[in-house]
Amino acid sequence: MLTYEPDESLAHRLDPRAKLAVQIGFAATALAHTTPRALIAFSVLTAVAMATARLSLRRTLVSYRLALVVLALAPLLAGVTVGPPWFDRLAAVASGLASYRVLLILLVSAAYVRSTPVRHSRAAIQRTIPGKPGQLLGVGVALVFRFLPVLRGDLRTIREAMAARLGTERSVVDRASTVGMLGVTRAFDRADRLSLALRARCFAWNPTLPALAFSRVDYPVLGLAVVLAVSAFY
Amino acid sequence: MIEFRSVSHAFDDVPVLEDVSLSIDAGEFVLLAGANGSGKTTLLRHSNGLLEPDAGEVLVDGTPVAEDLIAARSSVGMVFQHPRDQFVAATVGADVAFGPENLGLDRAEIDRRVAAALEAVNMAGHEDERIDALSGGEQSRVAIAGALAMEPTHLVLDEPFTGLDEPARRSVLERLASLSADGTGVLLATHDLRDVCELADRVIAMHDGRVAVDGPPADALDELDGLEVRVPDTTRC
Amino acid sequence: MATDQHSVELVDDDVVKPFARAAVLAALMAATVFVGSIPIPFSPISISLGVIVVYLAGLYLGPYWGAFSLLLYLTAGAVGLPVFAERAAGLGVLVGDSAGYLWSYPIAALLIGAVVHWRSETGDPADLSRPALVVTLLTALTVIYLLGAAWLGYVLELSTVKALELGVVPFIPGDLIKIAAVVAIVEAGRITT
Repeated sequence: MLTYEPDESLAHRLDPRAKLAVQIGFAATALAHTTPRALIAFSVLTAVAMATARLSLRRTLVSYRLALVVLALAPLLAGVTVGPPWFDRLAAVASGLASYRVLLILLVSAAYVRSTPVRHSRAAIQRTIPGKPGQLLGVGVALVFRFLPVLRGDLRTIREAMAARLGTERSVVDRASTVGMLGVTRAFDRADRLSLALRARCFAWNPTLPALAFSRVDYPVLGLAVVLAVSAFY
Repeated sequence: MIEFRSVSHAFDDVPVLEDVSLSIDAGEFVLLAGANGSGKTTLLRHSNGLLEPDAGEVLVDGTPVAEDLIAARSSVGMVFQHPRDQFVAATVGADVAFGPENLGLDRAEIDRRVAAALEAVNMAGHEDERIDALSGGEQSRVAIAGALAMEPTHLVLDEPFTGLDEPARRSVLERLASLSADGTGVLLATHDLRDVCELADRVIAMHDGRVAVDGPPADALDELDGLEVRVPDTTRC
Repeated sequence: MATDQHSVELVDDDVVKPFARAAVLAALMAATVFVGSIPIPFSPISISLGVIVVYLAGLYLGPYWGAFSLLLYLTAGAVGLPVFAERAAGLGVLVGDSAGYLWSYPIAALLIGAVVHWRSETGDPADLSRPALVVTLLTALTVIYLLGAAWLGYVLELSTVKALELGVVPFIPGDLIKIAAVVAIVEAGRITT
């Protein structure tokens, strides 16, 4: 599974805002260009990004397996025609190039995922998005991170309890609605208790923000992000 | 000091608290007993302005709660049932820091308070641990640390022992006793009246939304008959 | 106390409750990718519960908090929580092949929530008639399909027909079952708003 891993790589030392900027710049220009020459340049950049984060290509591809299936099917499907010539090579190649740049975008973002703990991302959100939306999104991301294992446990318990009483013999609609209803009911119970705790702990619009500061290595990365973003228009 | 002056509260016209007056001093350890539905939880939620009284008022250190919610909520630290649902961060240190961050303190002061709060609940040095990896008793103590990091004068706890085994319950109780000895007022709502004599300075029992008993444990235990509060046979003062 | 407490601006109590519900519902949405899906007998497809949570977010959190909940889910995935299909993560997913579906989720929740608020004074989805509910959910599903297939076609350079073949047709049976399940949940009326 692709997730944050503690390490000492260069990417781990970068400011999350610089890393986010590069991803956005890269995605913008990759969405704008599908020529083979551009794709070669993008491939080199992707390799650099992955090396900076010490990302394993094999493991990353495994974690994007669902996307890989779609990206592999798309060119085949694009080429198929209902009459002669039965396969349109040009259409298949165009779709293949387009699919390949999507793969590159995914790989670049994987470098961020491996090198950035959630608390850094949260700090970046709260320091970049101004005012109340930034505060709600930042604290919200921390809460999703906190409650994900709790709710995984809830869903598992619900399904085990259903299986124990032969719920598996019931109709699909019945099972899906039972799991959905119990899942949301429990989630709301937890949320209502959480909201009391948030209030008791003075949940504020203007808390002390997590520390975050650009260092010297971040500036070239920010520069690269700007160059990439501008290149999207040429 | 937390002071209730003739507080009444109703949910959907059903009275839950009726004319409740009481006070808790700094450093006092008060045990709040009462059957389910007797009004314990509602009473606690008035102590830091989570609920507003229909009549009467609540004062914290002389200031009406409604006048300064921030002061009330930082002076009265509150810990609820189900510690798992109170954590806002995935790691111990980040969670305990949440309250002081909301108060806008600077980072050095926040770090100092987090370390002190964890020290007070015997969890020093656990800042970077994942909360989900902790035992139930440890989670309860981290929840208490989250309240202590606000440097409250009072700690209010609502059934904090649910789901804890005996050693975990003891470890939480011992921490509460030592906090109380150091000057923090403790108001503990619980069904569990074991150890009440050695711990509590006072027992308050609620019945149908009113204060039915208020006194030192030795006297209070005799008056609990008929209030649906179960007192273990071995409990004698 | 040494702090200047007058500068502290508390989040209003009536914001905290829906915010907490939106955050925990985003976590539930995320949890559905971990806790397997429900297999459909005699079919290679199984039902992931994810989209059911999208519908329920709109129905029970209303247009704004419902949409916020799903934006939070997208943000959490973008910054690296493994919450997208098959436990994928990363900002790239939000511009990748499935980006159209993902971005349509907050829009679908907004749409559903808006209908609930328009048809019910108390914002309770149980006030909607069954036809109104079904039409609302089908409209939301159509929005999800259209945005999903449109982006799929654009980003992978597929024709409209082929984007629909790849990104819509295989999912129709499962999605209709989910809508039936959501109707059953609303009519049971056990979730409080």
